[in-house]
Amino acid sequence: MTLRRWLTVILLLLPGLGLILGLIGTVVWIAIAQSFGLYGLNGEDQFTLQYWAEVTDRRVFARSIRYSFYVGTVSAILSVALAYPLAIWLRKPFTGSMTIGAILKAPMLVHGLVAAFLFINVIAYHGILNQAMQALGIWDEPRRLQNDSNAIGVLILQVWKNMPFALLLLTGAVQGISDDVLDAARDLGAGAWDRFRKVIAPLSISAMQAAMVIIFIGAMADFSFQVIAGPTNRQSMSQLMVFFKDRGDWHSAAVVGVTLMGLAMLGASALAFLARLVMKGRSR
Amino acid sequence: MTAIRIQGLTKTFDGFTALSDIDLDVAPGEFVTLLGPSGCGKTTLLKVISGFLEPTEGKIFIEGSDVTAIPPERRDTALCFQSYALFPHLTVRQNLEFGLRQKKLPRSDRDERVKDVSQKLDLAAQMDKLPNQLSGGQQQRVSLGRALVMRPKVILFDEPLSNLDAKLRDQVRIEIRRIQRDYGLTAIYVTHDQSEALAMSDRVVLLNSGRIEQVDTPETLYHRPRTRFAADFIGNSNVFTGQVLGEDSPGRWNIETPAGIFTCALEDAPHGKEVALCWRPEHAVIGETGIEARVLNRAFQGHFTDLACAAGNGEFRVQALETTAREGDVIRIHVPPDRIRLLEDRP
Repeated sequence: MTLRRWLTVILLLLPGLGLILGLIGTVVWIAIAQSFGLYGLNGEDQFTLQYWAEVTDRRVFARSIRYSFYVGTVSAILSVALAYPLAIWLRKPFTGSMTIGAILKAPMLVHGLVAAFLFINVIAYHGILNQAMQALGIWDEPRRLQNDSNAIGVLILQVWKNMPFALLLLTGAVQGISDDVLDAARDLGAGAWDRFRKVIAPLSISAMQAAMVIIFIGAMADFSFQVIAGPTNRQSMSQLMVFFKDRGDWHSAAVVGVTLMGLAMLGASALAFLARLVMKGRSR
Repeated sequence: MTAIRIQGLTKTFDGFTALSDIDLDVAPGEFVTLLGPSGCGKTTLLKVISGFLEPTEGKIFIEGSDVTAIPPERRDTALCFQSYALFPHLTVRQNLEFGLRQKKLPRSDRDERVKDVSQKLDLAAQMDKLPNQLSGGQQQRVSLGRALVMRPKVILFDEPLSNLDAKLRDQVRIEIRRIQRDYGLTAIYVTHDQSEALAMSDRVVLLNSGRIEQVDTPETLYHRPRTRFAADFIGNSNVFTGQVLGEDSPGRWNIETPAGIFTCALEDAPHGKEVALCWRPEHAVIGETGIEARVLNRAFQGHFTDLACAAGNGEFRVQALETTAREGDVIRIHVPPDRIRLLEDRP
């Protein structure tokens, strides 16, 4: 390409990509700089590794990383695992399939905080679930389900909120697989499970990767579900970041923020790579 | 023993009858073509044989075993799809191996079968390519190879040549027939192309509106169509309704049609006075005797000339190898009595 052409391309990209890169780049730069003691909100501006040393030395930091990884990974896998059969079911239109699809995607329109409050009301000590279980004679007395230590509540909320997104991506990918290709697999002896793992999954891997990566990043960085429905004995990375910020310790908050960004990127790449690796082995 | 037996098969979709009371026996190693216009039920019949559709009524037997309720993945048939249906994420080798892996065949057997088929179909150089790197003809061969490696009792073809250009179609047509003979496969072939059906088949099953119209060898189907539909669908035909005037000489009957009187050679006397008869345009002889007709249109087709003619109140077509007749000319045509067929359906 000539210099003139390069310039044209760059100028055409600038309004869109330039703005995005500019804004994201600024935020990333500020966060990284703050984690090293620069751009202090109280006027301090000196390069130091002190905040990294202090934060990474705290047990709560390591625990929050493990916890956020757990929530991110399990949410991404469960959301995709639940979305796949639904996407395959809705692959071919039938009477009512549009309505079912719309209902399944409805959680995308509900704000996370609202969903978390509704969920808490349902599972509360005197909530509907406890009442129903007692009425059915399954439980003798109400149980404490809120803020469970294994974060099951958070995972349910994450999957409820993110599964529709995975469904949206996977439905398009699965619908793109022709009937003849699936019939050919069947004709050659592939049962339902083999058709999924040898044909459907490899042919929809890009959508699956996209869904997993986006859900993982969102769930790993979750704050609202964690604050309302999460376990009280653990903190997610976002929660830890807000904890430092509320103390006015912006530099330590930036250390957690930068770690979160880096780990989200690494984790998402690892998940996407793992998905491709597994599917490559399965497709034969 | 028959390779395939279809007994009293009916298939309906929400009140619409796609197939009605189909009975058919296919001998081992036979190449049978299901022929008919769009919507006649030929693909539905193929899908019922392959197991993708369940019949509403009737039974299907493959080599004596009732397979009516057996799903396609457990049926010993292999289907070649119109769209080839190759797995786009797998190489040619992996496509060919797919069914063999499903069958859990040992690696040595798999390699041997794949090698054999790839050599027969001239695919050896393409084994590591993905389907989108192949031409239409090569994809067609992979599709065929994928079915052949399974060594099925029955191979089914769903309009496999419809996506190929004319030249390649002729080539692949010959290849399919050669391979079917080499492997001694029983084949059911679906097409709407009558020339394909006539050129390839041992027998042709002509379908019309979900019913079998006629089952015969290509020669019989062409020269002795039993119904107006068969006469019309296979090649060109001039079909007339007429009145039987009487026997001219033993076995020769005069029949009056809107185009004139034709003499028809019949072994048995016609049933009733009203009949339908047909003759092929290429069987008419232009000469000094016969029906007087005016040429309405002349179309030179290369190896023959197609003349649209009018005589009395009827119109018909004549195909002459050589003629100087032009539009507006009056000619005389004669159709040999043994070339005229009486049709079974009533006028």
